Amino acid sequence: MTGVLLRAARVTRRFGAFTAVDDVSMQVQPGEVVGLLGANGAGKTTLIRMLLGLIAVTSGRVDLLGGPPDRERRRRLGYVPQGLGLYGDLTVRENLSFSAGAYGTAVPVLPPALAPHADVLVRALPLGAQRQVAFLAALAHSPQVLVLDEPTSGVDALARAALWDTIRAQAEQGAGVLVTTHYMQEAQQCDRLLLMSGGRLVARGSEADIIGSTTAVAVRTEDWARAFAALNAAGAPVMLEGRAIRVADADPAGLAEVLRAAGIEASLQPVPATIEERMLMLSRQARAS
Amino acid sequence: MTYSVRSATVRFGSTVALDDVTVEVPGGSVVAVVGGDGAGKSTLLRALAGELALDAGTVETPPKQRLGYLPASSGSWAALTVTQNIDFVAGIYGLAGDELAARRAELLDRAALTPAAGRLAAQLSGGMRRKLGFIMAIVHRPALLILDEPTTGIDPVSRIDLWRLVSEAAASGTAVLMSTTYLDEAERAAHLVVLDSGRVLVQGSYDRVRASFAGVVTQTGRPVRADWAWRRGRVLHEYWPGGDSSTPANPPAGSTAVAPDLEDIVIALSLARRNTVPS
Amino acid sequence: MKAMIVKEFRELARDRRTLGMLIVMPLLLLVIFGYAANFYVSSLKTAVVGPQASQVTKMLPSFFDVTVTEPSGTQADAETLLRDNKVDVAFVTGQTPVLALVNGSNLFAAQSAVAALNKVGNQVKTQVLYNPDLKTSWVMVPAIIGLILTFIGTIITSIGMVREREAGTLEQLAVMPIKPSRVILGKIAPYFLVASVDMIIVTVLGILLFSVPFNGSPFAFALGAAIFLFVVLGLGVFISTISQTAGQAIQTAFFFLLPQILLSGMIFPLEAMAAGVRWIGYLLPLTYFTMISQGIMLRGAPIASLWLPFVVLTVMAVVVFTGATLRFRRDLAPGRPASPARGEQAAAEPVSTT
Repeated sequence: MTGVLLRAARVTRRFGAFTAVDDVSMQVQPGEVVGLLGANGAGKTTLIRMLLGLIAVTSGRVDLLGGPPDRERRRRLGYVPQGLGLYGDLTVRENLSFSAGAYGTAVPVLPPALAPHADVLVRALPLGAQRQVAFLAALAHSPQVLVLDEPTSGVDALARAALWDTIRAQAEQGAGVLVTTHYMQEAQQCDRLLLMSGGRLVARGSEADIIGSTTAVAVRTEDWARAFAALNAAGAPVMLEGRAIRVADADPAGLAEVLRAAGIEASLQPVPATIEERMLMLSRQARAS
Repeated sequence: MTYSVRSATVRFGSTVALDDVTVEVPGGSVVAVVGGDGAGKSTLLRALAGELALDAGTVETPPKQRLGYLPASSGSWAALTVTQNIDFVAGIYGLAGDELAARRAELLDRAALTPAAGRLAAQLSGGMRRKLGFIMAIVHRPALLILDEPTTGIDPVSRIDLWRLVSEAAASGTAVLMSTTYLDEAERAAHLVVLDSGRVLVQGSYDRVRASFAGVVTQTGRPVRADWAWRRGRVLHEYWPGGDSSTPANPPAGSTAVAPDLEDIVIALSLARRNTVPS
Repeated sequence: MKAMIVKEFRELARDRRTLGMLIVMPLLLLVIFGYAANFYVSSLKTAVVGPQASQVTKMLPSFFDVTVTEPSGTQADAETLLRDNKVDVAFVTGQTPVLALVNGSNLFAAQSAVAALNKVGNQVKTQVLYNPDLKTSWVMVPAIIGLILTFIGTIITSIGMVREREAGTLEQLAVMPIKPSRVILGKIAPYFLVASVDMIIVTVLGILLFSVPFNGSPFAFALGAAIFLFVVLGLGVFISTISQTAGQAIQTAFFFLLPQILLSGMIFPLEAMAAGVRWIGYLLPLTYFTMISQGIMLRGAPIASLWLPFVVLTVMAVVVFTGATLRFRRDLAPGRPASPARGEQAAAEPVSTT
């Protein structure tokens, strides 16, 4: 299947005076996993709802499989919302037979990990297994596009790796996957990243592209407890890592001044920021304006 | 003051939720507990909170008056405002009048919740609600603070905020025990504990955990043994425990070894346990 | 669409409480209406006092079931018997015409009595006490006061408690230094207040709008109402300990409420019910509160004559509350709490500066 699977072209969405999504253009191609990142209120959810055809755009255009996201096209879409969309009071098998019936496909075969739980109520399953069932239900009709909202939230490392295996397998078979996540280490699992802030797309590409030239400051000092307290009291976005201190701030000078005033000897060094730190700085800028 | 559970075993019917677990939480440090569903994280936290009776072992925990707890669920009352939530909890712990007002103002400021003070808890975003739950848990300056998955599902910016609040608490002497599924948080803690099926797989500082990790992790496009491999990004990692285990223990010549990070270590040890325990 | 139907059926099959309501409730209603719904009272408890007591007794049709014959009794004694609800009709002999006093607070019994006495003609003068015009509203209002208290107590309390469980905040309460009994009392206090205010409003309105009398002691009434409130609030707490969601709580509360409406004597008189069903009425708290409210408001009965409903309600309150508290305590503190660390004394603990 060639051609763009999911596309937003200069999409804007306003709610009264509030602009939730501002002139965003993006696309998902077959075989790739695209990660959509952004803090709360950045517009991710609104963008996804427009891509799925759940709400209308104010301006711009949305394409799902080459046309507007109508019910017919959504038949070839798989969507796993944050709440999983499963019925807690039905068993695994019953949930799968419901979604298979709704899409008009055969009931999927349970993988060995889930097979022993076939007749267990979904609400009695641990979260990792529930997410696997939700995936299975969304993939049963062999969708060409997958939209996954925080697919691994709350799940441990091993189960997370297993879920990503499934996602990657879908991409390798030619589906296009759009994933949102709050866990930046997962960003490495994606082929491409999109970073939203304040409704706009502020960065795109690899992890390095997302971080860009943003730097944070690493503070090295013997007197780490007092240094932390001093910086914290000054309102700096400071974080402890064991005994090392990181500040999500581009400018070491102001921080050095605070430490000097407190009589603390420390060496400050700019280091590449993490994605989270970039997002923090973006939201602080947004708040200040 | 160090709080702890020692040789703790907890059974729920025929399931063993905790199996001979010993964890210490010294004052002034953050201990992070990592593990999957059913690993026993919540059980361990509840045991230390005095909410559960142990079937074996001992618990050293402060009296309720000196204990702060943030459960995995909301942590605040949805139909009350931010201020009312704090007042309610503070009242139970015996704070009142001017002392209460001052403490409340201080905590709201630290959590950057002051502009939302009059908002209903139900109307807060997930991250803000968690921060509210956190300051409610420390309003009475507890000696031991227990946090059950405080940052799960929270946006990254609020997560940084919460970690800062946790660091603050530890830096001023509180003993903090938190469970998390985020390994970067575990790396930042002074001491981490990896649980799997109720047992401690490994514990210690991140450096010590890395140093004590035995075996090799290789990177490959196609694994030799499927049940010892897992996905990382576009490649797979495979674990070779080494030593004298019965399965092929050493990687074939020419494979690429990688320096294992915490995610590799946690997954490798879980797989080792899964694959060597008779099913 | 077929998938949707199948799914709904499956969910319904798992939802035992709804199934119970859908299947058991109609059966229950059928049974109740079959055996309990009966406005016709077949016999009346009767007293005959006065010099010609024994003669009059022999003359009375079997409809009047004479349980008390007191030749030396006076009209005052007859009135006391009626006030204490020991009999439905009392004949006062020794005068012409014979005076028949009818207990107007038992509406259907009184109507039956009056109908029968009218046939007797001029030999008997009929006087209806407590509810001379045999107004339905005079009998219903005291019963409805009880119904409102039951409604508030059971349904609203059960939702209120379940809210904590649903929100997940129950766990937090368990870890805080607050006793389970305090949590329960704290939680029902607002409902107690609201229910009391409601009761006062309904009582006052009933008196004003329908001219229902209030002949007895307000203190006794308040006492009875307070005890009854404890019973229904305790029921609400109990229902909340066996419900996981607010929906379940309401269903269960409704299950407790409906029989009380139908079988407490509020609509169908207890005496007219078949014995096989009547005993259910005697298990319901509302039955006893209605005895108290009707007795005090219409007949001015003293506490002494109402000792039975008072005692029964008190016992019910204790039993229900104890059961509810024990179950609730189990939710709040599932295990024996671990003993505090050695050397841990709250006062000696160095205060952390967080």
